[in-house]
Amino acid sequence: MRRAVALSLAILAIAGGCKKRALTPNLNVENKVQVRPVTLYFEGPEMLLVRETRNVALPENPAGALSEVAKELLKGSANAGVPHIFPRDTVVRATFLLPDGTAFIDLGGDTLTQGWGTGSHEELMAVYSVVQTVTTNFPEAKRVRILVNDEPAETLAGHVNLSRALVPRPEFVAR
Amino acid sequence: MTVLTSRPLALTALALASALFLLAQAPTPVTPPPNPANQATLRAANGDRVITIARQNGLTYFAADEAMAALGGSVTREGNGFKAALNNTVAAFGTDSRFGVVKDDLIEMPVPPITIDNRPYVPWQFFQGFLIRSSGLDATWDPAARILQIHPAQTTAVSVQVSVANVQGISKVVVTLTAPADYTIVKEPGAYTVRFRNAIKAPYVEQAHEDPYVARTSFIGNDLRIQLTAPDVVGDAYRLENPFRIVLDLRKGAASGPGTPQPVISSRPVESPGIHTIVIDPGHGGKEVGAIGPAGLMEKDATLTLCRKLAAALEAKLKTRVVLTRNDDTVVPLDQRTAIANQYHADLFLSVHMNAAIVKGAHGAETYFLSLDASDKLAEKAAELENASKNAAPAASSDLKLMLWDLAQQEYLNESSRLAQAVQEEMNRITGIQSRGVKQAPFKVLVGATMPAALVEVAFITNPDEESKIKSDAFQATVVEALTKAVERYKIDYETRIGIAQPPPPAVPTTTAPAAPTTTTKAATTRTGT
Repeated sequence: MRRAVALSLAILAIAGGCKKRALTPNLNVENKVQVRPVTLYFEGPEMLLVRETRNVALPENPAGALSEVAKELLKGSANAGVPHIFPRDTVVRATFLLPDGTAFIDLGGDTLTQGWGTGSHEELMAVYSVVQTVTTNFPEAKRVRILVNDEPAETLAGHVNLSRALVPRPEFVAR
Repeated sequence: MTVLTSRPLALTALALASALFLLAQAPTPVTPPPNPANQATLRAANGDRVITIARQNGLTYFAADEAMAALGGSVTREGNGFKAALNNTVAAFGTDSRFGVVKDDLIEMPVPPITIDNRPYVPWQFFQGFLIRSSGLDATWDPAARILQIHPAQTTAVSVQVSVANVQGISKVVVTLTAPADYTIVKEPGAYTVRFRNAIKAPYVEQAHEDPYVARTSFIGNDLRIQLTAPDVVGDAYRLENPFRIVLDLRKGAASGPGTPQPVISSRPVESPGIHTIVIDPGHGGKEVGAIGPAGLMEKDATLTLCRKLAAALEAKLKTRVVLTRNDDTVVPLDQRTAIANQYHADLFLSVHMNAAIVKGAHGAETYFLSLDASDKLAEKAAELENASKNAAPAASSDLKLMLWDLAQQEYLNESSRLAQAVQEEMNRITGIQSRGVKQAPFKVLVGATMPAALVEVAFITNPDEESKIKSDAFQATVVEALTKAVERYKIDYETRIGIAQPPPPAVPTTTAPAAPTTTTKAATTRTGT
């Protein structure tokens, strides 16, 4: 965890330092938290991703907000009838957003670490719930690379290729 | 914490980096004084510089700020981490991670950087990873002379990738190169060394393997050393083309083992067009159990049972050679599965899985082929690099080859689509279970296959009814019939389209087997028509 946080801090600090000098010299403004609507994606009854909007207190800066949104996604749907996509012990270890539009989401947890036994469909839903959520709420994020335990991961459960950043896939979202 | 969104700042950084670069280019090359123990020479096109190094736990670290300044860049502290900038490219790294980040990629170092007196010191691989991505340069460290050589990434340097997998008691070391290379293989006590005659670009310095016969692999100069777990491990070596690979099959040897393996030329016969070799891939295996049904049926077992029956049916019906990527309860890495198919020059690859869903009552079959859009960025990069390589950007050229290899399946997407369609239609028609259609997804097991490839999800193992079906002989027979019919349909369709009027007559068993099978059959299970 310490490594992931350190890497995250290093990257975010770079970005933070840049923006701080260029745009918002006032740290109080930069760290301001505001309740905003976010769009999260969960698996619906049609076995496609469905949108759910909720209000979340987010830092105004996108990188800080990214982590909060990812954590909110892993909490699951507010509707108790909508099942959890990710294993319940999955955690967001770190997030960062690079200037070129790639968002990195570093996930962890015992199940992902030891090997998640699930099928293609469920893994697709899990991966793209992250991709859709990130790219929907952060227009500057064009693609999402998922890491596991601060390391590049081949897949989460043996199917979806995570060795490259993934772009949104509208066909996995219910119309 | 926030994100870099300021274009004016980026431009300022660019201007600053450019100014630093010009300043760094200006001085006349200087001859460094003799190096004390804490110094090394950074040798670049603009001359030699002395930079500070430090040694910890037997490893050498380089003062990142001095080295980057000598190259015309900079290193600055940012929060708990550091930022290196050169040629408008920024890399971030921290002292608690062996991965730096540059663009949308990671710079891998053998160990995390360290700080001494609040200054960052990095392994030399940091410069290698950063320079290739920022300026078409490469770095090589000569520990004896203590010279960190910065040079244009060589067009002749061949990138190397190594994979190690144990299948059915044989450890297969596959060394994949981006271009053909001359080499010899030397047997030493407890090790094999692949000695390349031309420059290679090593993917790492040393890597340990959890393998019964391979303890670790390491690169020293242009040598790849394969350290064995025991002195009586022996091997056979051969090479394969497209892409160029050196394969070493290792096993526990008798006293009369083959000893020193020699590189052999793959004398694969030219095969006639058509579908002659089919690779069937039972999903998961070993500790990678896949999905588990409510009654406890594991996907890895269900796929293996089904695929064994499918292989037998395909042999009997189509008289083709059929290869299973695994025929027991073993872990086979995903890239190894397509590597097996490529190695056998397979004409068709079908991965068989059981699906899982959290939605209650999910049922039906679906078939996938590889999606392109997940690789959009990659394709874009490849195009950029292709253009760049026209201007002799050496690193770009080798990167391009790697990327194009990643994209190998793209060439076959149209055929893969036809195969997936045939599979899904026959599954719909024969099994009578609900069709979930043909879809595209970025599945790892389909990447890199140089033949039409598809992945079929037979049924939902998480659905109690379908789990029961999957276990039944009757349902298995129905699915085997559907998949056999689908492959037959595709085969006839394909061979008709390429001008073979009639499906090929029943093949004479094994006579067209390529040269490799004497060894490869030990790694993958080959079944031949009888």
